[in-house]
Amino acid sequence: MKIGIPKEGRAGERRVAATPESTKALIEMGFEVCVAQNAGSLASFPDASFEAAGAQIVDQAQAWACDLVLQVNPPSVAEIAQMREGGSLISLLRPAQNEALLEALMAKKATALALDQIPRITRAQKMDVLSSMGNIAGYRAVIEASQHYGGFFGGQMTAAGKSAPAKVLVIGAGVAGLSALGAARGLGATVYAFDVRASAKEQVESLGGRFLTVEIEESGETAGGYAKTMSKEFIDAEMALFREHAPTTDVVITTALIPGRAAPKLWLADMLTLMKPGSVVVDLAAEQGGNCEGTVAGEVVQVDGVNIVGYTDLVSRLPTIASRFFAKNVQNLISELGGAEGWHIDHEDEAVRGALAVEAGELRFPAPKIERPPPPVVAPPAEVIAPEPKPESGLGRWIGSAVFVSVFAAIGMLAPIEFVQHFSVFVLSCFVGWQLIWNVNHALHTPLMAVTNAISGIILVGGILQTGRGESITAMPVILGAVAILLASINVVGGFLVTHRMLAMFRRGN
Amino acid sequence: MFPMTLPLVLPMTVAPDLVESWLPESLLPVAYLVAGILFVLSIGGLSSQESATRGNYFGIAGMVLAVVATMLAPEVASYGVMAGAIGLGAVIGIALAARVAMTSMPQLVAALHSFVGLAAVLVGLSTYLDPGHPLEGSEAIIHGVEILLDVAIGAVTFTGSVVAWAKLDGRLSGKPLLLPGRHILNLVLLAAIVGLAVPFLQAESGEGGVWLLAIAGVASILGIHLVASIGGADMPVVVSLLNSYSGWTAAAAGFMLGNDLLIITGALVGSSGAILSSIMCKAMNRSIWNVVFGGFGSDGSAPAASADQPQGEWTEIPLGDLIDRILDAQEVVIVPGYGMAVGQAQRAVDSFTRDLQGRGIRVRFAIHPVAGRLPGHMNVLLAEAGVPYDIVMEMDEINGDLPKTDVVLVIGANDIVNPSAQTDPASPIAGMPVLEVWKSELTVVFKRGRGVGYAGVVNPLFFREKTRMFFGDARDSMEKINAELKNRS
Repeated sequence: MKIGIPKEGRAGERRVAATPESTKALIEMGFEVCVAQNAGSLASFPDASFEAAGAQIVDQAQAWACDLVLQVNPPSVAEIAQMREGGSLISLLRPAQNEALLEALMAKKATALALDQIPRITRAQKMDVLSSMGNIAGYRAVIEASQHYGGFFGGQMTAAGKSAPAKVLVIGAGVAGLSALGAARGLGATVYAFDVRASAKEQVESLGGRFLTVEIEESGETAGGYAKTMSKEFIDAEMALFREHAPTTDVVITTALIPGRAAPKLWLADMLTLMKPGSVVVDLAAEQGGNCEGTVAGEVVQVDGVNIVGYTDLVSRLPTIASRFFAKNVQNLISELGGAEGWHIDHEDEAVRGALAVEAGELRFPAPKIERPPPPVVAPPAEVIAPEPKPESGLGRWIGSAVFVSVFAAIGMLAPIEFVQHFSVFVLSCFVGWQLIWNVNHALHTPLMAVTNAISGIILVGGILQTGRGESITAMPVILGAVAILLASINVVGGFLVTHRMLAMFRRGN
Repeated sequence: MFPMTLPLVLPMTVAPDLVESWLPESLLPVAYLVAGILFVLSIGGLSSQESATRGNYFGIAGMVLAVVATMLAPEVASYGVMAGAIGLGAVIGIALAARVAMTSMPQLVAALHSFVGLAAVLVGLSTYLDPGHPLEGSEAIIHGVEILLDVAIGAVTFTGSVVAWAKLDGRLSGKPLLLPGRHILNLVLLAAIVGLAVPFLQAESGEGGVWLLAIAGVASILGIHLVASIGGADMPVVVSLLNSYSGWTAAAAGFMLGNDLLIITGALVGSSGAILSSIMCKAMNRSIWNVVFGGFGSDGSAPAASADQPQGEWTEIPLGDLIDRILDAQEVVIVPGYGMAVGQAQRAVDSFTRDLQGRGIRVRFAIHPVAGRLPGHMNVLLAEAGVPYDIVMEMDEINGDLPKTDVVLVIGANDIVNPSAQTDPASPIAGMPVLEVWKSELTVVFKRGRGVGYAGVVNPLFFREKTRMFFGDARDSMEKINAELKNRS
């Protein structure tokens, strides 16, 4: 089977869907690899490096005519026309938005796997290009911000004056948002992150960010993840929060995307006016219309003195690492599909089925929804299944009280007085014991058990009374009593000694 | 009649010259009262490490006082026999307690419980043969019931503790013995004891001995069966339950002998064991009945749950990488489990801890309430190895810090770190509070074999993305790590 790597057709794209490294792996899987001339040159992978890895350098048309074509971006209809009948394609496709492409692929009786449709499950993470590219985009967003920001990110105190750390606000703590958070922290900035999902708090804090949220009971979190729409009160509160932070924030990085829909407007014109001149907004959603009012896709513009970065090719601006990660994701998917020998589109494989858009000319998109329990991290664990303590039924309580009363009444009426005295001592001692034990430190439960065990050797006293009373040491009660004394003293001495040994070991540090 | 204020046995049949002893008759009950107070102080002393040793001395003082006072009681003679028995018992007790390894502590505690049980049975039989004074009417019946309870609870404690000892010592399999209709069997045995009580109580004084022995026999079988049907993982609960039984036995003996000190002490110990058991059960989110009668982990529910177990691949971590991650960390938490006790790894863990502390890495221990085979078992082992107790944290104290922890080392623990307790309602351990180690940056699981934990549940933690496995005996693994750390210093 021949794999073709045409040069990316999209203007400004520097990435490539294979690297010399992945080429080598693909050849090991039994493929022949044909790379179009200069396909990787913008990502610093010259043709010679591909040749060294075992690939043939071909022209663009030949690359498109291979059995399996690997691309980064969705191809154009014209490019699909160059594919051979019944060929296969792996690339980003965004099938929901690109009906024309699907039709062109169907017309070619092609098989196409959309990398953007791979489900976000743990097993498929090795093939998840959205995550690996999101990570890069988040990092690059910070680099772009620092490029357009007139100060340090980290704080400094010098003889020439001091500079406070930049305050960065990341909106949306997904993969890209978290990556941006980490990168900004790395440069020394103070980073705040906002997300509607309360579960994001932990991740934000784990990266050293401060989590911002809205003080409203309704959270953006349902068992499944995002809520589709937040209530008006929530959005108002969110906007108020942003306005509160806008005057002190130097850099805003917005990453809020809803798949297949226009990006929500979160950073409004009035917030831009509130910001200090020279502040920066990097809008990762520029391609989908932008989260910021004023964003122009693909450009840097100034509004009220604030630089708004609307680049849509942030990932492509780190072409080498982006190509390597992308190629590795693709290589993992091909390996999942069985390589050259075992090539098989397995509908049972959740990751493959998710990505499958067209199969031999048949439309397979969208993949059937798979019922899945919500991921455990989403819901606060304590609430998952902790069984409700059964409220004690009124009836049970009545029966309990009745039994209690009748037992005590029976004792009071029937038992001889000395029994009642002993019984009082017994009941009160139980209460004393009950109160005492709750105070015992958990770490001392084993010594507690050993000491109570030693104390329960008090049965020794019983043995003494039985033995001491007898006249003859051969009488049965005396012998039994003496054996009881023996056993009980083993218990008493052993119990106290072992407790002592244990307690002697507990010591405080330093 | 009995003197109203004197709870102890003051036989009316003894010769008048003995009653005219040189000691005032109130002295003994007062001595008992002081002994009782000392026992209360003794248990109270265990509320913190600082006062615990003093607490133990209070207990010893109370016991010495009780024994000496009883011996000085007017009716007590035969000092030779008693001194011999106490002396021999003390020697055996010292020999047992001085030599036992801290890892064998659970067995020893179980064995000691059995002695209390057996002693109580013997005292009960002895009292029946020689009640000290004739009893009539309701007094006789109450006394009979007291003897019966003492003997029955004592016998259950005795055989139950023997079985628990054998299981903990590895002489019997830790698997629960699940006879068909075991609940009915328990009920039948209980009914048999009640049934045998009727002829015993109706028998003429001194002639019901056969019935009493039969009751002891049936109760012994009940004790064996009750403990045999409980699995190894529930042993902490069983041991503390037996602890409780041994207290109730002493209390029953107190009623039987009319001795308040026995009643006080028995009630203290009995309620102590009962509360400990209930704390354990709460820590496993199960009711006490479920533990005592459940045959846990082997009912129909477990295999059903295993059918759709989350499966996956685990990733092993090479020694070098593990060391790198540990040295990069600022916060390390160690979660010890029974595997650390089995592998006797606590000393290696301690020197590991010291090494990291020397490098400025913060190391703490996270202890789950049911880790090990006794309540507080892990604390004792770590204390033995010399780990300072103020870096040893309880589950609730440390769970909130785990997300901020760089590396968690799980040493021979399994069920107590199983996330399916929170996520899988079908899991046999569903709802049990667990240490949320998976929230840390990296969890390394030290594991002897590739099997499941005591509860028989697959642990999805092992397949998590941030989890790495390090297979091998706990002590070997820790020693390898310590050696490698030396190379890196």
